[in-house]
Amino acid sequence: MRYEIRVEGQLSEPLIRMFPELDHVTMAGQTLLFGQVVDEAHLYGLLARCQSLGLRILELRQAPR
Amino acid sequence: MEHHAGPHEPQTGSHVPQPGLHDPRTGSHVPQPGLHDPRTGPDAPEPGLHDPRTGPDAPASGSHDPRTGPDAPEPGPHAPQPGSYDPQTGPHDPHGDPFLSTRFAVPAPPDTFLRRERLAGHLDGALRTPLTMVNGSAGAGKTLLVADWAAGHPELPVAWLTTDTDGQGAGMFWAHLLQALRTCGVPLPGDIASPADANRVGDALPTRLAALLGGRDRPVVLVLDEFDRVTAPEIAAQLDFLLRHSAPGLRLVLVTRTEPLLPLHRYRAAGELTEIRDAELAFTPGEAARLMEAHGLRLSPAAVRGVVERTRGWAAGLRLCALAAEEAPDPELCLKEFEADRSAVADFLLAEVLKRQDDGTQELLLRVSVLDRFGPRLANAVTGRADAEAVLARLHRGNAFVQHVGHGVYRLHPLFAEILRAHLRMRRPGLEPELHRRAAVCLRTAGALPAALGHGAAADDWEFTASALVDDLALGQFFTGPRADILDALFSRMGPRGGDGPAPELVRAAARLSRGDLAGGAVRLRRARERTARYDGPAGETGAAAVRMGCALLDALVARLSGAPGRAEDAVREAEALRDLLPAELLDRHPEFFALLLDHLGSARLWAGDFAGARDALTRAAATGPGAPATALPREDALARLALLDVLHGWPGRAERRARAALAETERSGIARPASSGVERLVLAAVAVEREDLGQARALLDTAGESHPALRDPVLEAGRALVAARLHLARGEPGAAWRAVEPGVPADAVSPWARGETALVAAAAGLAEGRPPDAAALLPEVPRDQPACVVGAARVLLAAGQPEAAVRLLDRAAVDEHAGPSVTVRAALVRARAADRAGDASAVRRLVAHAVAEAHREGLRRPLAEAGSWIRPYLTPTPRHRRPTPPRPTGSPPPPVEELSGRERDVVRRLALAMSTEEIAADLYVSVNTVKTHLKNAYRKLSVGRRSEAVRRARELGLL
Repeated sequence: MRYEIRVEGQLSEPLIRMFPELDHVTMAGQTLLFGQVVDEAHLYGLLARCQSLGLRILELRQAPR
Repeated sequence: MEHHAGPHEPQTGSHVPQPGLHDPRTGSHVPQPGLHDPRTGPDAPEPGLHDPRTGPDAPASGSHDPRTGPDAPEPGPHAPQPGSYDPQTGPHDPHGDPFLSTRFAVPAPPDTFLRRERLAGHLDGALRTPLTMVNGSAGAGKTLLVADWAAGHPELPVAWLTTDTDGQGAGMFWAHLLQALRTCGVPLPGDIASPADANRVGDALPTRLAALLGGRDRPVVLVLDEFDRVTAPEIAAQLDFLLRHSAPGLRLVLVTRTEPLLPLHRYRAAGELTEIRDAELAFTPGEAARLMEAHGLRLSPAAVRGVVERTRGWAAGLRLCALAAEEAPDPELCLKEFEADRSAVADFLLAEVLKRQDDGTQELLLRVSVLDRFGPRLANAVTGRADAEAVLARLHRGNAFVQHVGHGVYRLHPLFAEILRAHLRMRRPGLEPELHRRAAVCLRTAGALPAALGHGAAADDWEFTASALVDDLALGQFFTGPRADILDALFSRMGPRGGDGPAPELVRAAARLSRGDLAGGAVRLRRARERTARYDGPAGETGAAAVRMGCALLDALVARLSGAPGRAEDAVREAEALRDLLPAELLDRHPEFFALLLDHLGSARLWAGDFAGARDALTRAAATGPGAPATALPREDALARLALLDVLHGWPGRAERRARAALAETERSGIARPASSGVERLVLAAVAVEREDLGQARALLDTAGESHPALRDPVLEAGRALVAARLHLARGEPGAAWRAVEPGVPADAVSPWARGETALVAAAAGLAEGRPPDAAALLPEVPRDQPACVVGAARVLLAAGQPEAAVRLLDRAAVDEHAGPSVTVRAALVRARAADRAGDASAVRRLVAHAVAEAHREGLRRPLAEAGSWIRPYLTPTPRHRRPTPPRPTGSPPPPVEELSGRERDVVRRLALAMSTEEIAADLYVSVNTVKTHLKNAYRKLSVGRRSEAVRRARELGLL
């Protein structure tokens, strides 16, 4: 499963590194984290990671293959 | 704020050193309150100085809430006698550690905290609704809102619990909840004991607690902070149950980042929920302006509006803004930059605030981010400096990053800790494991073992971590008590290699054995022994002795599981010899060690037929560490095996009483069934067969299989096969009886009684199938030194047409001397039958009358039933038609296997009135599902499968 998580704001390098398994693109006032998600548990783990870092999630979607 | 210095520390997230304080300086146990931990060594300041309640400059409010005062669960004044445990005052969680009182303290809002009346007013709803939920994102200001509100209601009993670790089990949760209630002055009666199993909690605890709270005239406000860490659905279900059945005595306030699993819609629909969410928590521009003023910032309305827009009123964002601007040369400019920036809010602001700190402070903040809670000493350990105390006090005053949670212990705000860790990884790659290692060493020195283990594992230093466990004699906790699952999970990350000393290998062996993998455990234990020989330190050194001690414990377990009594004796001798080489304080702290050892020994002796030796060892095991959660399992198992001995000796009544006592002990300590020994059920099943209560026997036997994997030894296996076989025989299924015992139980040593009983079952099956000669051929297998077996053999001889030989056998073995009624009744019946054959009617009458009277007294039916039809003419009509009843010494009926709860009793009573599930639900004002749950539990406890049986059984037991 490929997922895209769009969070508000541009993430600093240290924060980006908290998601080593994902690629990222920085755009105007947003960061798109994307990549292969192993399973549901992984997905929830990613969401929890965003929450614990105080990130605001704008969009979450499964990317077309 | 220099008072934060103190002998408390180092303290960490979860743990402080054990009570039972042994002062190395005086060599005595320390009765003085306040002398926290003498093991912190020579640099510990004077006793008493640390006490924040007496300190000259103790914080004015909050963290040292007066309610936590005299009852605060500090180890000092409550230090129990070593090895004993007082459920009333014992400040233990199931981990066996003293509670860290900071978990139960209402957090202190900082000086710059801004009280917002609209929120406080809304929160007053918590007094009117059973459930209140404050639900908002990290840093939304939830905790401080509730803490400030609670401080404004000093008249209320407020129990505060900050849940501490992710993924903690139900047992830990409830233990902490009970402690929170105690801390705020709610007295708990003796039948509400802390759970002994960290992951499971029986139904009894929430039920009893609900009854207690429901009876209060003044409600308790229970605040569960960081409830998002509680993810187990069963905890939510139990809390829901508690809340529904204890209103109006309980007001629950959940502070959480995520939606809890309670059925909120139901509370909401019934108007029973007060809800404060993110949108309401957000600061308005007016509030933000006041907050900035509190930080000494006077901003234009436009600037305030800009900041509020950028942060969306997020409390943490605003506070960081204030901190960054406060220290900036031009605050307005600083805020403008922030507004214009496109970074994530917390990320940007934290970096801004961090870079305004001096280098030393930055480094300290980055490094303590790996710690959960910390005092200056632990902070110094990870920074390698000596100035943490002053820095932490200063940061706490400035607040936002560092919170003082009381007693000289600090923590980082969780959100900032997370971001700081990200910075740490970036700036100091590879340093994290080293920091964990330093923390582990520091904590280990201070005697805070569980925390040391956690950090050791995080450092991936398994040699250290395993040695810490083994040197502390804590290896037994793999098998018993609340830490078992936690240790298993912790060390499962160790992998097959890692560490080349004996300790890691020993831990691997323990982990295998605790899962019932005898072969795998034995291999690793052997390897650990080899390494011990190679690595031996100087003789007498504590570490080496502890390693050998660990080997001895596992040796005894392996011996027990493989039925090798000689090896168990050797192991226990070795452990006894090593005892003197270890500090007494260490042994006192781990009563479970010898409880397990003696239980293993007793069980191995039991297998070998050394009944006197088994009784001795098991009696000692059952008396070790009374009341302590850590010894609950071995005590229960030993007690149950003593009951098994009674069964083997023909004393069903005594066996039953003992087995019920063992069950009551498990119930009290909340050990759920798969983790208990299961022997009691076996014993009760055997007794039920003797009483011809075959349905009950079947039900008990089916559940006896669920026992702790490390206790599934040959005694249990053989016992289960034999009871199953006896049940089949009683039902007239000789083929099935034979199949039950035929596979045999693999063991190193032959068990005379197991072999004899097996032969007797085979013989009885042969007799039932009309093959007396085959039966007689089995008799040489039967030992002649055990009364029960001798009587069985005599019965076979009798059936094979050799009554004289049968009587001779009984005479020679002097059966009637020590054996219990199950044996003597059968012996009398054999003699009676022989007299019957010889035509001596008066002797028959005398013997039968004796047998009947004795059987009647014990409620035995089986011996008479299996005697055969010849007996009928000799039986007086009354006892034949009247079902012999089990003895009722107190005049009250025997209890069910487990007591029914009040609610379950209500439901069963209504069942007896032929009410439907729906009608019962309506009558009791609960949902149909709740009724079904109660029914299910009641069926299980009554060991029945259907309504009609439940009603019948409940009548028998006098529950209706």
